[in-house]
Amino acid sequence: MKQYVIIGNSAAGISAAEAIRKNDVAAKILIFSDEDYPAYCRCLISYYLAGDVKEEKILYRPEDFYRENNIELFLNKKVARIDPKKSRITLEDKTQVSYDTLLIATGASPKLPETKGIKKRGVFGLRTIKDAKEISGLLPITKAACVLGGGLVGLKAAYALKKRNVGVKVVIKSRQVLSQMLDSEAAGFVQKRLEENGIEFILGEDVAEIIGNGDIKAIKLGSGKAFETSLVVVGKGVTPNMDPIKETEIKFNEGIITNNLLQANIANIYAAGDCAESFDLTLGGLCVNALWPVAVEQGRVAGANIAGGNLNYAGSLGMNSIEFFGLPAVSLGIYKVKDGEAGFEELKLHDTKANLYKKIILKDNFAVGAILVGDIKNSGVLLRLIRERIEVSSFKDKLLRENFGYPDIMALVKDKEHLYV
Amino acid sequence: MKQLYYDVKKCLGCKSCEIACAVAHSLTGDLFKAFKEEVLSLPRKKVLASKDKNYPVSCRHCKDPVCVDACMAAALVYDKEKGMVLHDDKRCVGCWMCVMVCPYGAIRPNIKTKLPLRCDKCKDKDEPSCVKACPTGAIIWQEELSLKV
Ligand SMILES: Cc1cc2nc3c(=O)[nH]c(=O)nc-3n(C[C@H](O)[C@H](O)[C@H](O)COP(=O)(O)OP(=O)(O)OC[C@H]3O[C@@H](n4cnc5c(N)ncnc54)[C@H](O)[C@@H]3O)c2cc1C
Ligand code: SF4
Ligand code: SF4
Repeated sequence: MKQYVIIGNSAAGISAAEAIRKNDVAAKILIFSDEDYPAYCRCLISYYLAGDVKEEKILYRPEDFYRENNIELFLNKKVARIDPKKSRITLEDKTQVSYDTLLIATGASPKLPETKGIKKRGVFGLRTIKDAKEISGLLPITKAACVLGGGLVGLKAAYALKKRNVGVKVVIKSRQVLSQMLDSEAAGFVQKRLEENGIEFILGEDVAEIIGNGDIKAIKLGSGKAFETSLVVVGKGVTPNMDPIKETEIKFNEGIITNNLLQANIANIYAAGDCAESFDLTLGGLCVNALWPVAVEQGRVAGANIAGGNLNYAGSLGMNSIEFFGLPAVSLGIYKVKDGEAGFEELKLHDTKANLYKKIILKDNFAVGAILVGDIKNSGVLLRLIRERIEVSSFKDKLLRENFGYPDIMALVKDKEHLYV
Repeated sequence: MKQLYYDVKKCLGCKSCEIACAVAHSLTGDLFKAFKEEVLSLPRKKVLASKDKNYPVSCRHCKDPVCVDACMAAALVYDKEKGMVLHDDKRCVGCWMCVMVCPYGAIRPNIKTKLPLRCDKCKDKDEPSCVKACPTGAIIWQEELSLKV
């Protein structure tokens, strides 16, 4: 009987465990997590903070999931080291556990800038349910909060704080919100919607210092301006959790380097999710796409391969979907053509009044990316064009239209159509 | 498992199925009353024209549903016994990750209700309402395997 060890009890770890169990009913599956919570919907913690989602609804799997699937879960157990030569892991409490095959699904942690005062009490990342609870606990005594960073997590945090009646200023180094998923035009729509709902933005500025003895009193900007705040949430991206592999022969750049089976450079070690670098379909090289759906899919592929399968992982691509105050926005693949880059074509529709913005980026008549604001209903069909590399010249004029949809690409997709007879 | 098939040659693009779908999922279930409901019931099926043919598009209840993978709230689940993708309104947060990934564009956002619109095969009825509503018999409701060659 094989013993499979999974480090990480979240999107990637859970879907891997399910895939292993599907292919091998007898194997021993051990999951280790340094959190003290059974698997939960990490992306929902901002909704929880906002009060939109109750704690019961945040669990990712039913309570009896681990028992039903015969999975041993070890909570509050941090893995300190991996020893690939001996095929075993060592926990922080020095316990050693050996494995036949290991999955590293340690995810990522918030990046903290080196700003003066960043270690002060009252500065938070927003990554775990524990973070959300701690922030939540401070809100009754918080009048003004500050969010550093205008990415997805930063904006979600700002939304949550506002929803809890706390004044929020978002300080963003770049000149736009969501610079990792939207161009400046699309970002304008989102920013406007957030501003209309009472969230303030300070663009093109960095924080020089977080001021206060003990508790936070104020934020000082690079320009010298300062304003009062007693709570800071940092949303400046994430960095893969590489601690247990740092001193090992497992190869990593930003994340663990994987092959098309999601295997690391050591045969009985796999990696999936936010801690793994895998092939990116639009960039054509390795990178981390730190996204929930990607983590789930990678977990499933890695799990199947761990249980003896031979599933090829085609690759991932950057994408995201957000909605703030009734305005949806989706970003797929390459969302911005860099200045001076030739060979790209942009199809565009911009209607400020209707809150509608659509942009599709083509290269040699292949879609490589898109942004949709306001009307996102066929984004999955566009995603398919990108993923399956479908040539668009025969329906290019229809791509931006309201009635564009699956029937237009049906004859060109990989899976044969069988519902329309 | 029964599935919806479409005889595209017969489809006129009259959208009777869309209307029947919206009515079937309204509170009152009655065409005239449905229009007056506070939140207008929207169809879970859309008829799209392409190259002079019409194609009713709705959720296929995929066996490897990417929408389920993408759902970060675990509101969408695949029910093996029923052969259907089920949606739990109470868990859904309206993040539209499902909309972003559905390769058929068969799940759409309802911005008002913050819930996705998606065919549930009229789960409480013996057959989906669109089937009866189609004046030309273009919508076929039948066991899955028999048509698959
Ligand atoms: C507020 C917020 C909003 C988000 N919104 C979106 C969104 O809208 N769309 C989207 O696609 N993604 C979103 N994400 C990102 C998404 O949550 C991640 O991509 C996803 O959780 C990655 O899953 P994972 O399993 O790889 O890692 P994680 O979810 O990070 O889980 C890692 C696991 O590993 C454990 N672990 C780490 N190190 C150790 C160790 N040394 N020993 C033991 N256990 C360890 C942790 O305890 C945890 O259980 C959001 C994230 C946050 C925080
Ligand atoms: S919503 Fe789309 S992906 Fe999900 S089951 Fe239906 S057709 Fe398949
Ligand atoms: S909109 Fe609802 S069903 Fe769709 S992915 Fe988000 S939570 Fe899941």
